[in-house]
Amino acid sequence: MSVCARDLRLRLGRAPILHGVDLTAQAGRLTAIIGPNGSGKTSLMRVLTGELAPHAGEALLNGAPIARQRPEMLARRRAVLPQQSALSFPFTVAEIVRIGLHSLAAGEAERGALIRAALAQVGLPGHAGRLYQELSGGEQQRVQLARALVQVWHPVGEDGPCWLFLDEPVSSLDIAHQLAVMRLAEDYARRGGGVIAVMHDLNLTAMFADHVLLMKDGRARAEGSPAEVMTDRLLSEAYGCELRVSHTPREGVWLLPQGARLAG
Amino acid sequence: MPRLIRLAAAAALACASPALADPHPDASRVLSLGGAVTEIVHALGQQDRLVGRDTTSSFPPEVLALPDVGYVRALSSEGVLSVQPDLILSEEGAGPPETIALLQEAGIPFETIPEGHDAEGLARKVEAVAEALGVPDAAGPVIEEIRADLARVEQANAGGGQKKRVLFILSLQGGRVMAGGEGSGADAIIRLAGAENAVSGFQGYKPMTDEAVTAAAPDVILMMQRGDAQADSDHNASLAELAAMPALAVTPAVRDGAVVTMDGLLLLGFGPRTGAAALELHDAIYGAGS
Amino acid sequence: MVAVDAPRDRPEGDRLEGDRRHVGRVLCLLLVLLLALVAILSLGHGASGVSAPRVLADWLAGRQIAPTDRIVLVDIRLPRLLTGILVGAGLAVSGAVMQGLFRNPLADPGLLGVSAGASLGAISGIVLGGMLPAAILSFTGWHLVPLAAFGGGWLAMLLLYGISTRRGRTSVATMLLAGIALAAMIGALSGLIVYYANDSQLRDLTFWGLGSLAGASWTKILAAGPLIAAALLAAPFLARGLNGLALGEAAAAHVGIRVQRVKAVAILTAAAATGASVAISGGIGFVGIVVPHLLRLLTGPDHRWLLVNSALLGASVLVCADMVSRTVIAPAELPIGIITAMIGGPFFMWVLLSNRRVIDL
Repeated sequence: MSVCARDLRLRLGRAPILHGVDLTAQAGRLTAIIGPNGSGKTSLMRVLTGELAPHAGEALLNGAPIARQRPEMLARRRAVLPQQSALSFPFTVAEIVRIGLHSLAAGEAERGALIRAALAQVGLPGHAGRLYQELSGGEQQRVQLARALVQVWHPVGEDGPCWLFLDEPVSSLDIAHQLAVMRLAEDYARRGGGVIAVMHDLNLTAMFADHVLLMKDGRARAEGSPAEVMTDRLLSEAYGCELRVSHTPREGVWLLPQGARLAG
Repeated sequence: MPRLIRLAAAAALACASPALADPHPDASRVLSLGGAVTEIVHALGQQDRLVGRDTTSSFPPEVLALPDVGYVRALSSEGVLSVQPDLILSEEGAGPPETIALLQEAGIPFETIPEGHDAEGLARKVEAVAEALGVPDAAGPVIEEIRADLARVEQANAGGGQKKRVLFILSLQGGRVMAGGEGSGADAIIRLAGAENAVSGFQGYKPMTDEAVTAAAPDVILMMQRGDAQADSDHNASLAELAAMPALAVTPAVRDGAVVTMDGLLLLGFGPRTGAAALELHDAIYGAGS
Repeated sequence: MVAVDAPRDRPEGDRLEGDRRHVGRVLCLLLVLLLALVAILSLGHGASGVSAPRVLADWLAGRQIAPTDRIVLVDIRLPRLLTGILVGAGLAVSGAVMQGLFRNPLADPGLLGVSAGASLGAISGIVLGGMLPAAILSFTGWHLVPLAAFGGGWLAMLLLYGISTRRGRTSVATMLLAGIALAAMIGALSGLIVYYANDSQLRDLTFWGLGSLAGASWTKILAAGPLIAAALLAAPFLARGLNGLALGEAAAAHVGIRVQRVKAVAILTAAAATGASVAISGGIGFVGIVVPHLLRLLTGPDHRWLLVNSALLGASVLVCADMVSRTVIAPAELPIGIITAMIGGPFFMWVLLSNRRVIDL
């Protein structure tokens, strides 16, 4: 089972955003979409989640075109963590997470348990009663992650794997929480779910991704394993600055821009 | 909605001509709606039968002691019922219609007094009130008095000569002249006083542009008195205010200091005092004894 | 990794912290009691001093009831009470729905063009009504102004909805801006008609703008009731959709909410309820903003209880205001819009100032 993009083309107004993008993201793996600003990562994500309809081409989720899946059914198969979310009223954390249960058929007791478990998983166990707007940016991002998690709590549902779409999931987190959230995503994939994440941090991508799509100017420049895609040549060309990949002694890969100096 | 009532009233009048209203000689709790109607009830000597009035009924001063049921076009059904009237006399346009319908359902006689701004219309009003109250004979002297006053105005004008052109200014809010056009009460009283309305071409009270005011070139400017001010000081204040406005300063009226101020209710009430009001206005315009 | 396979281990009634629905439930019960109390008071008070309990006792005892007493209770106070409940509930629910839809605590159905359109309709009815052919006039009778107001409000809303909907998607932002433009155009048209109004029509316009329940009648209740009831019935469906919309349209769609359907139902029902309310009672301000806001401070913004409670509190508030309106200067009565604004304005100010912490967020 997979999430597929086939020759996706998208225009916003008159401006072409995607020029025929292909992607195959398998369940059980963490797929990262990387690329410079304005390369079309988030737009691709918005097409894959069904938020935008492509101008041409097709997006499939578990083999079925996304455009033809009923909203409630789609909601049970995939959840989305947006890049940023603004909230208009003073909801509590528990109330926000509960919104993720909208399409779920579950009893009240189960709902409460799911909310508690998801908050514990994102490291905010005591925060259910707090007002969302009083939390820090990083905490808010984790509440949103909990909301996405309760929506597709079991990585494998009755009719196939479930999917987490994460748009820059670690953008406002400190290093410890970045690692925690990435491990959570990795674990979701290990248990059979699919994860598709737009990533800015190439180091984290290299550490956690199983599959990488490198985008540039609305096109897929390369797709494959991190080792295949994250090469000096491809990255330097895509990002327009010289980058060199060097491996740390332990497993994992670290990338440093050419000439950068580390303090100490 | 008010138009509707007027249509209905007109239709009723047409069908049931000479009798203007059903007589209710036994009615002892009369609610009077409309300043002119209340004045007429008093002029007919029937004031003891009144138990309530509307907001516009403020003359003679003793009616102020009666309970006020609100503005005649926005009556509350329970408010009206609470004064327990057995007859309601009302000027045209009482409302809202739902309230009027309820009052009729409650079985309270409701007599609408026809509007009228000329000698005939005033007489009809007085007759209608007198008939409704069951005292048709009392109407005669009141009508006579109105006619006598109006006849004196006509007599004074009989000598011929140019009719003076009068501009009625309702307000000068923000330096904008709100003038009385055709079909307004001011227009009617100016005619009754034997003068001519200086403005035409629009209906009712409307703001006028400065140039049109200057072009109208009124011989006399007529305004309502403000509050309880002494007639003299009120007159002077009005004149000063008018003279301060360039468009008005150049008119013959302001140049000659021909500004008349009169009590608003007397001037525009169109009740039993209207004959006297016309005479007073005539004298103010042309000078007493002319 | 916490697997939630045995949620039943948790004892029932172990309430999740931050879940304020039980507060909403308790408040709902209190508000029902409040409405009942206010309704009884309202039936018992009025300019005429007819005592409702005495008449009821007479009726139960099979004694003759004076026709005036019957008219006061059955044809005056009861329709007014029901109209007050309908209008208050309709305005407050519409306000809460619009605030949820526009994601702004200060939104009101006026943003849909309903108020402007209704007022243009009423102005046209009052000033130009007499020019209509007699056949139409005899058909509409006194209901010309309410009908014109409802039609005007509805037309303006449909126009605005049409303008801001493209390819099956309604843009709330476009609606907001187009609403301002439309209100300006309608204002100009209204001004033009007002210019041609005579003095008594001007007085009618002024009184219409201040609102009143004085024209309450069974006919109006039967006409407007279903429209306002429709908004109340749609509330439970809208509640979860509006909660989702608080996170933005995209996030709402992601959790499976049919966003366009929620928007359409919200706009149509709010416009119907507001249009009907304005048509039968004129312009009554503040209820639609103050009531939901106050409830949000008490139970949070969760729409599942907010909408129901808004209806209940809105009804109580309006019935109270009407009671003041018809007794404070009895036998005359004060337009109810003056009372809601006079009490609502300072009260709202006080609420805002004493809750700065929450509001400034």
